[in-house]
Amino acid sequence: MNTPAVTTPPAVAAPRPWTFPTAVTTRTGAGTPVHVFDRPGQYVATVRVTIALPLHSEPRDREGVATMMARTLDEGTELRSANDFAAALERHGAAYGVDVTTDAVHVEISVPTTHLAEAVALLAEAVTRPAFTAEDVGRHVTIRLGEIVQERANAGYRAREAFSAALFDPSIRRSRPTGGLPETVRGLTNTEVAAFYRAHVGPDRAQIVFAGDTGGIDVAAVIDEVFGGWSSEAGPASESPEPVYLSGDRIVVVDRPGSVQTQLMLGCPGPDRRDPAWGAAAVASHVVGGSISSRVDQVLREEKGYTYGTRSAFAAPSRGGVFSLSGSVRTEVTSAAVSDAVRILLGARDGLTEQEVAEAKDNLVRTAPLRYEQADSIAQQVGSNIACGVPLDFADSYLAQISATTADSATEAYRTYIGASGLLIVAVGEAAEISDSLAELGVGTVTVLD
Amino acid sequence: MPLNYPIAEQTLDNGLRVVVSPDRGVPIVAVNLWYDVGSRHEPPGLTGFAHLFEHLMFQGSRNVKSGEHFALLEQAGASLNASTFFDRTNYYESLPSGGLDLALWLEADRMAYLLDAVNQENLDNQRDVVKEEKRQSYDNRPYGDTYERLVKLAFDSEHPYGHMTIGSMEDLDAATVEDVHAFFRTHYGPNNAVLTIVGDVAEEEAFMAAKRYFGHIPAIPQPPAAPNGSVGPLNGVARDDVVSDVPSDLVTMIFRLPVDGTPELEAGALALDVLAAGQSSRLNRRLVRSEQIAQSVSGGALPLVGGVSFGTLTGVAVEGIELQRVEDAIVEEVEKLAADGVTEDELATVQAQNERDWLEQLATCAGRADELSHNALLFGDPGRVNRRIDEVHAVTVDQVQQAAQEWIRADRRAQVTYRRRDAETPKTSETSQEQQ
Repeated sequence: MNTPAVTTPPAVAAPRPWTFPTAVTTRTGAGTPVHVFDRPGQYVATVRVTIALPLHSEPRDREGVATMMARTLDEGTELRSANDFAAALERHGAAYGVDVTTDAVHVEISVPTTHLAEAVALLAEAVTRPAFTAEDVGRHVTIRLGEIVQERANAGYRAREAFSAALFDPSIRRSRPTGGLPETVRGLTNTEVAAFYRAHVGPDRAQIVFAGDTGGIDVAAVIDEVFGGWSSEAGPASESPEPVYLSGDRIVVVDRPGSVQTQLMLGCPGPDRRDPAWGAAAVASHVVGGSISSRVDQVLREEKGYTYGTRSAFAAPSRGGVFSLSGSVRTEVTSAAVSDAVRILLGARDGLTEQEVAEAKDNLVRTAPLRYEQADSIAQQVGSNIACGVPLDFADSYLAQISATTADSATEAYRTYIGASGLLIVAVGEAAEISDSLAELGVGTVTVLD
Repeated sequence: MPLNYPIAEQTLDNGLRVVVSPDRGVPIVAVNLWYDVGSRHEPPGLTGFAHLFEHLMFQGSRNVKSGEHFALLEQAGASLNASTFFDRTNYYESLPSGGLDLALWLEADRMAYLLDAVNQENLDNQRDVVKEEKRQSYDNRPYGDTYERLVKLAFDSEHPYGHMTIGSMEDLDAATVEDVHAFFRTHYGPNNAVLTIVGDVAEEEAFMAAKRYFGHIPAIPQPPAAPNGSVGPLNGVARDDVVSDVPSDLVTMIFRLPVDGTPELEAGALALDVLAAGQSSRLNRRLVRSEQIAQSVSGGALPLVGGVSFGTLTGVAVEGIELQRVEDAIVEEVEKLAADGVTEDELATVQAQNERDWLEQLATCAGRADELSHNALLFGDPGRVNRRIDEVHAVTVDQVQQAAQEWIRADRRAQVTYRRRDAETPKTSETSQEQQ
C-alpha cells in the first residue's frame, strides 16, 4: 500500500546552473540601442523604452514636470486624440504604463505577441509624437493634485516622504517627492511640459528593451520600423549628482490623527551598485530584516506579535543608496517596537553568523530564476540596469558578489553603513500618544511634523 | 485561441486530487495546494478561522519545528505564501526543482500533523499578528473598510458571503485551542484539497512524489458543504453613507452577479469591464476625461462559486465636485448599458484585455499552478485553463446586455459613500444606513 510517513526533511538537490538571459543588441536607424530578449513560452511581451532623464534636471519650482510629461505622452498624439489612442491600444489587448525614477523615465507596453507590431507602433507614437494639449495637461494637473491628497492620507507614503526629507540635504532632488508638490505642480502648463519634453527626450537618450517569445519574428525590425525615423533636439543627459546625506540619531514623528497603528521607517545611507560590497550588503540585510525568518521579524512578529511583518532593504538609483527597515505596529507598543528594532539593527554590527549568512546566500542566489521567469520582470530589470548605468546582465555580477560573500564580509558591509552616521527613525501615527515615549528611548531627538 | 499546456490528473486512494503540468523550459517547480475551505464555510461564531489557519500553518507541525517551514524553503530558494478568500484557501511555493520533495514533505506534514503544534502559545501569538494585519489592511487606511461595508449591504449576515475573510476580532478572541483543532479536523484532509505541481519535473515523477509524501494521510469525513448562497439580484438600493477622515469623496457600488462557471457570469463581468476597465472604458471617458468630475474610476467582477458572485463600480470625486454628480453619472451609464447594450468594438476590446490578463496569469509556473488548482477544486476540471480564452471570446453582445439588464441596474445595487468631514462636524466617524 502506501509508504509510511517521512519524518525528516528530504534532501534538496543542487539547483541547475542559471544565468541572466542574454540579449541580441542592434540599433535603430536613429541610433537607439535595441535589446531583444527572446523568451520562448512568454506569450505576453513587454517593450520598454528607457529614457535617461535625471530628475535633478527639473527646475526647482517646476518639480513634477517629468512625471506630468510622462503621464501625458499617451494623452493624445499628433495623429489621434487621447480617447482614440486609448481605444486603439486597448483594442489590441495592450497595457501601457510609465515609471519615473531618479535617473530615467520608462515607458512600456505589455501585449500578446500576436499584436506586437500594432502595439509597438502606438508606443512609438506616444514616445516620439506626443501632442501635450492644454486640456490634457490641465486634466492631469488636477488629477496629480488629487493624488497628492490621496498619497498623504496613506501612512506608508507619508513615512517614505518624511524619511527622504530627513535623510537627504534639501539641495538633493530626492529629498522631495518624484511627482512634485502642490506648489510646483499647480501652475504647470502644457507649454512647459512640451518644452521639457523637447529638451530631454530623444533617440540619443533612449534604449529599447523587448522581452517575450519572438516566435521567429524579427523584433528589432518591427521596432526600427517605427522608431528608426525618430529625431529630436534633446542634448545629452547630465549625470545625477552625488547625494548629500543628513546624519545623526534623530526621530521624526509625523502626526496622523486617528491612526490605530504607527508606520515605522528606520534607516541610514547605504551603498549603490558601484560599491563592490553591494551584494554583501544585500546578504546582510536579508539576515537582519529580509524575511519572516529574519532577526527583526523573529522578535517583532513571531515572538511579540507587534506587527504583521517588517522588511529591510538596501536600495539605490545610479548614485547614493539607502538602507531602510519598514513596517507598522500597533500604537501602544510603538516605543517598545522601536527599542527592539534599534537594538537588533545596531546589535547586528557585532557580527552575523556563518549559518545566517549561508542561508541568506542560498535564498538570494536560488530565487533568481523565479524573479526573472516572466518577460515583464526581465524588461523591468534591464530598464533599471540601464538607468543605473550598469551592464544589462548586472544580475550575474550581483549573484557572483553574493556567492563570494562571507560572514565577515557581510558584517563588514553592514557595519560600513548601519550605525556609522546615525539612525533616522520616522514614525507616522498618533503623535500625542507616541512622541513622549519615543523621546524617552534616548535613541534620537524628536521632531514632530503635522 | 485554445492554449495547450499539458495537464495530467490522478486521484490518490485517500481522495487527494493531484494535477501535474510539466514545463522543462525553466529550472523551477511550483507546488500549489487549494483547500476547499474559505470564509463561506465558517459558521456563525467562527468567522476568520480559515484565515487564521493561513497563519497557524506556518508555525510548525509534528516533524517541523516552529519557524522551520519558512527557513527550510527560503534556504532552498523558494518564494512562498498562502492566501484566503471567500471560496477557498491556498498554500504555495515556487523553488528550484531540486527542492520539490522538500516542498511536498512540508505541505504533507502540515496537512497530516498540524495539530501537534497548535497550542495556546502560538494561537495567542498569531491572533495578535492577525489583529495587526487587520489594523494594517483595513483600519489604518482610508476606505479600508469599504468591502466590509459592501458585503454587509449586499448579503445577509448569515449568507456565506456576508462576512469578510479576516473575520470578526471578537470571534477570534473567543476562539479556544479546541475550537481551532475542531475546525482543522473538519476541513483539512487530502479528500478536501487539490495538489498541483507545475514545472521542471516529469509527469510520472511528480505523481510518484505526491503519492510518496501524501499517500499515507487518512481521508477525513466528508466536510459539511458551505450554505447555499443562491440569491438573485439585489432588490432596491441599500446605502451606507460614511463621513470620515478620507482624502477625497468616493462612491462604490456593488451589484450581485451570476455564479462563476457560467456564460452569464462572464457576460456580466464583461459588462462591468466595458463600464470601468481601462482608459477607454465608458466611465473613464465620461467622468475622468470629458466631464472631469472624477479623479479615477475602477470596477470589475469578483467571480464566486457559492450561488452568486458580485461586482463593483467606484468613482473618486475631483476636489470641489459634489459626490452626487459622480454617483448620478455612474447610475446613468449603468442604465444606458442595460438599455442600449454594448458595441461589437467595445466587447472585442474588453475580450482582448481579458486575454492578456489571462496569458500573464499563466506566464509563470506559480500562476499556472494556481489556476489549475482553482479549476480542479471549484469546477472539477483543470482543463478549463486551456479553454478560458475561447470561452470569454464566445460571449456575444446580446449576452452582455442580457446579463446587464438582469443584474447591473440602478435599482439593484448597494453603495457605500465616503465624504470628508467638514471643519465643524464632530470628530467621530458617523455612518447612516438605510434600505429603500
